[in-house]
Amino acid sequence: MKDVTYKKFLTRWEQVVDLPPQTLGPFTPVYKSFIRRLKVMPWPYFVLSAAACVLILYFLIGSTITLLVTLLQRGF
Amino acid sequence: MLDQLIMSGIAFGRTTIGLVVRPYETYRKVVGKGGAWELVYVAALAIVYFSLASLVKVAAFRPFLLSKHAVVLAVAALVTYMLVVCVVWLVGKQFGGKGTMKGIAVGWGYTMLPTVCWFFMTSLLYILLPPPRTASIAGTGFSVLFLVVSTTLFFWKLTLGYLTLRFGLKLDLWRILAVVGVVGPVMGVWSWGMYRLGIFRVPFL
Repeated sequence: MKDVTYKKFLTRWEQVVDLPPQTLGPFTPVYKSFIRRLKVMPWPYFVLSAAACVLILYFLIGSTITLLVTLLQRGF
Repeated sequence: MLDQLIMSGIAFGRTTIGLVVRPYETYRKVVGKGGAWELVYVAALAIVYFSLASLVKVAAFRPFLLSKHAVVLAVAALVTYMLVVCVVWLVGKQFGGKGTMKGIAVGWGYTMLPTVCWFFMTSLLYILLPPPRTASIAGTGFSVLFLVVSTTLFFWKLTLGYLTLRFGLKLDLWRILAVVGVVGPVMGVWSWGMYRLGIFRVPFL
């Protein structure tokens, strides 16, 4: 039992030290908070961010987005 | 070989679910322990898409034309994939990357899932609701929905690309941005070439 726990600890430790720590100066907490949301089930954040981007685009260029979608639909 | 293919199929299924639910943890495993055989399934999905795209584009059932079009698309996608992996590997090494080429190849291979999903979605919608879109309420509503889904898939692709560089080359954010800054223009020129040749209008990266 002790060996199993130790092995698990060792694996986790190797995973942690395998990557260089990510620091962004004063923005490190913001980065960590952002990345934490992406680690498990990031889809709600993806969808909300995408909706926000598209709404901003719609307010900027209006119904021209239909032209953009027409181009994208022919783009495959 | 059959055993290996079945085992890889199971691993591919588990990894795909992992990429949806826990991308970070899954990528750590994939880059470290993932096998190249798993990419066979990504390639199979892409080939199914190329066949469908050829059928939609050629708009007539002429087997020779269909197969020629599908082969051109498949070869172009394969060359693009190999180019991305090689350029990322070479540039990453210049910025102090420590990973293995196999890790990057497997990691980047899995980033093709959002790409294939988007291309599948677009070709199916091309059949169901062919363009052009109009500025009516229905047309604008569909356009907004299409863009939201496309951007969501793009964010997924960005995340998987970031994780490929993070785990594949063991780089920090600044170096990842530097690698993207060098690889981005190279792939931009390549994609423009593909566009000029009439192979891919939207880059199949």
